[in-house]
Amino acid sequence: MDDLATYAENTWCPGCGNFGILSAFKKAVKKLEDKGTQKEKIMISAGIGCHAKIFDYLKLSGLYSIHGRSMATVQGMKLANPDLKVVAFAGDGDAFWEGISHLIFAAKRNADITVIIHDNGVYGLTTGQYAPTSEKGFKGPSTPEGSVEEPLNPLSLMLESNATFIARGYPVKLDHLADLMAQAIEHEGFSFVDVLQPCVTFNNTYQKYNSLVEILDHLPESYDEAMSIAKRKDKLPLGIIYKSEKTPFHKLLYGDFNPVMNSMPREKRRENIARLLSL
Amino acid sequence: MQEGVFTFLVGGKAGEGVKKAGSVAAGIFAGMGRWAFEMDDYQSLIRGGHNFSIVSTAPRKITSHYMKADLVVALDRRSYDAHKDDLTDGGTIVYNSDTLSDVEGIGVPLTREAKKYPKPDLRMGVGAVTILAASLGLEKDDLKKIVEYEYPRDIENNINYAMAIYDIVYPEIKSKFKLDAGDKKRPIISGNQAIALGAEAGGLDLYFAYPMTPSSPLLHYLAKYSKELGVVTVHPENEIGVINMAIGSVFCGAKAMVGSSGGGFALMQEAFSLAGMVEAPLFCYLGSRLGPSTGVPTYTAQGDLKFALHQGQGEFPRIVASPGSIEEAFNLSSEMLDLVWRFQTPGILLSEKHLGESYMTVDIDVNKAKWLQPLMHEKGEYKRYLDTENGISPLLFPPSKKLIKWDSYEHDELGITTENPEMIAEMQGKRNRKTETIVDHMKTLHTVNIYGDKGPVIFTYGSTTMSVLEALQSGDIEAEVVQPIYLEPLPVWELEKYKGIEVIVIEQSCTGQFASLLFEKCGIKAKAVIKKFDGRAFEPVELAAKIEEVV
Repeated sequence: MDDLATYAENTWCPGCGNFGILSAFKKAVKKLEDKGTQKEKIMISAGIGCHAKIFDYLKLSGLYSIHGRSMATVQGMKLANPDLKVVAFAGDGDAFWEGISHLIFAAKRNADITVIIHDNGVYGLTTGQYAPTSEKGFKGPSTPEGSVEEPLNPLSLMLESNATFIARGYPVKLDHLADLMAQAIEHEGFSFVDVLQPCVTFNNTYQKYNSLVEILDHLPESYDEAMSIAKRKDKLPLGIIYKSEKTPFHKLLYGDFNPVMNSMPREKRRENIARLLSL
Repeated sequence: MQEGVFTFLVGGKAGEGVKKAGSVAAGIFAGMGRWAFEMDDYQSLIRGGHNFSIVSTAPRKITSHYMKADLVVALDRRSYDAHKDDLTDGGTIVYNSDTLSDVEGIGVPLTREAKKYPKPDLRMGVGAVTILAASLGLEKDDLKKIVEYEYPRDIENNINYAMAIYDIVYPEIKSKFKLDAGDKKRPIISGNQAIALGAEAGGLDLYFAYPMTPSSPLLHYLAKYSKELGVVTVHPENEIGVINMAIGSVFCGAKAMVGSSGGGFALMQEAFSLAGMVEAPLFCYLGSRLGPSTGVPTYTAQGDLKFALHQGQGEFPRIVASPGSIEEAFNLSSEMLDLVWRFQTPGILLSEKHLGESYMTVDIDVNKAKWLQPLMHEKGEYKRYLDTENGISPLLFPPSKKLIKWDSYEHDELGITTENPEMIAEMQGKRNRKTETIVDHMKTLHTVNIYGDKGPVIFTYGSTTMSVLEALQSGDIEAEVVQPIYLEPLPVWELEKYKGIEVIVIEQSCTGQFASLLFEKCGIKAKAVIKKFDGRAFEPVELAAKIEEVV
C-alpha cells in the first residue's frame, strides 16, 4: 500500500513528466525515513500550475501556496520551526517569473529549504504559453509568431545567487532523481533541484532529453567547473552540479532558538515590556 | 489657548538633531510628571530641508500638539521664517544668530559655539534642549544629567557646549516658563512602539516587514529589541515575500505579524486573500501615509480606510480596527492578535503616521493585554477544515502524525482541492459564517469609545480622535464624541442609536470615506464632514473653530 498517496484523483496527462517526479519524491521520502527522518517532519508547499497538483497527491502536511510564492511560504515555516524539513515544489513559470525574487534571495541568504523545479519550459495548466525556460522561437497562444526571448539558465542563475546545493535530474532516470531529492532535503542550507520535465501535451521533450542527458561521474570540484557544466548545451549533465557548506540563514539569525518551541512565556513578556517602558 | 498648556517647537535642517531635541523635551516634561504630546514634522530626505518637532505639555492629559508655541528655537533661517508667527501671546523665539540677524527674538550663537568642537551640526539639538532647560529654570546640574543621559556619544563636548549655551541664554530667558510638576511620571512612547509592545504582550513570535514610511519604525524597534523580546524580526526581499513567509510561520503555530504602508500593503493583497482562504491567523499593520501611489511619504492621512476594508479578492471574513490613542494602540494590538487567532482569519490594525510616529505620555496596564490560546484539535480524526456550526475548525500544528493541509484552492474538509459544487458552497458558507461568530464575540468587547454625553454628536476614528478631543478641550466645546475602534465588522449594534441624528464627521480624507461608511452600514447621516487632506494632522485650535462653524 502506498502510504504517501491521498484520495485525490490524479489529473495529469498520461505520460506527463510529473508522474516521475511524484514517484521519485515518494522514493526520496522513503530513503529519508529509512535513515531515521520522521515523515511528519517533512512539510511541503507548491505554487500554481500542473506541477502544484503534487500537493494534493502527497499525503504529507503543508500549505498549497499561490503562484510563485511556495519558496517564501516554506521559508516562513522553517523560520517558525527549524526542526522541520521544508520542500517547495515550483514550476519554471512559478520560480523563474512570478516568484524569482524569492528564489534568488532564498539562495542568497542560504535559507534551509529545498526547491524542486518541475521545469517543462511551458505553461501547461494555462494551455501552452511560453515560459522562462522555453527555447527561442517557441510558439504558444501568447507568442503565435514564436517567442523572441532567449531561455534562462536555472543552474547558472542559482550559482550566481550563491546557492549551496544545485542539482539537475530527469524523471526517466527515476532512482537517480530520487537520490538527488533525498540529498537535497538532507543538505543543511538552500538546495535546488531542477527537474527536466517533458510536457506531453505542449512541449514534448522526451526524445530530446533522452539523447542529451548524461549522468555526471563526479561532483564538480570548483565553482568554475560547476559553471561550465551548468552552461553546457551539447549535453545536459545530470547530478549534483555544485555543493558547499555554509551556515543556514535561521542559525545566523537566531542560533539554536526555535520560535515555536521556545516562544516566550506571558510573564516574561510582561517583565520585558515593563522594563522597556521604564527606559 | 488652554491654560496650563506649554508648547515647545524646535526647527532646523535634517541632520541637526531636531527630532532628538523634541524627544528629549518630551522626556523632560514626562519627567516632571506632566503629560506630553510630541509631533515630528519631517520630510522625505536625509540632509537639509526643514524639519520641526513640536511638543505640547499640560498637567492634564493632552492628546495633540498645538501649532502656537510658547518657545520656538529656530536653528536656521528657514525655521525662523516658517515659525516666527507661530508664537503664543507672550511667546519667545530664540534663533541661531550665526545664520540670521536683525530680527526679533533672542539671538544665540549656536553655530559659533558648536564650531569649537568636532561635527558642529550634531550639537545643534543639544543647544535647543539647553535653551528649553534655561527657559524652564532648570539648574545647570539638572541639564548636565539630561545631556549625559540623552547624548552619550561624545559626552564631554556635549556638556561643555550645553554649559556655554546656558550661560549665554540664561540671562535673556531666565526661567521665563516655570512649569508646575504633574501628578506622576509616565513613560512616553510612539504609536509604533505601542503597537510593537502590544503585539509582544499578545504573544508575537515573528515580525516580517519591508521598510516603508511610516511603518518602518516598528520594524526598527522590534529588530533592535528582537533578542530581548523573543520576537524574530525579518526583513525579506519585498512585501510579497514578507506576507507569504508570515503565512508559512502561522501554519507552524507561530504568532506572526506583518507591517507596511499603502504601496507595500497593496503588494500584499493577493496573499491577504490567501490568508482568508487557508484561514491563517495573520495580524497585519497598515500605517497610512498620504496617497495615492508614493504620495507624501512622511505625512499623515486616513485615505486607506476602504482599502483596508476591501483588501483581497473573493469573500472572506476580516477584522479591521484603528486605535484612537497611543495607549489604545497597545491594547488593541494584543486584542487583534487574540482575535485573528480566535477566528483564524486575517486582521488589520489600521493607523496613520500621526499616531505611529507621534509620541505621547501613556498609562499602560500590561495586565490588560489579551493572551489567547487558540482552539486546538484534541483527539480522533483530524480535518483542517472541519465544518463546524460557528465556522471555526480546530488547529493542529506540525509535526503531527495527522495530516495537516492548508489549501489556497477551494478545498474539502481535509484540505484537498475540490471543484465539487456542494463542497464549494459548504466551504464558502463555513468561512463566511465566521463573520457572525466574530460579531457575536465582539458584542462582548469594548468596540466603541464615547467621550462626553451632551451637545452635538461628532463621529471620528483613528488618530483623528486625539485631535478632536484636544480641540474640544481647547475650544471649551461640549460634544459627544463617538469613535468606533472596530471598523470591520463595524459595531452597528452600538451605533444604531445615532441613526436619525444629524452628526458631524471629522476625518483626514479628501472624499469622506468614514462618513460614507457610516451611512452605508448604519444609515447615519452627516450634516457636516470636516475633512483635512494636506498631510498635516488637525491642529486643535483650528479644528475647534471649524467645529464651532458647523455646530
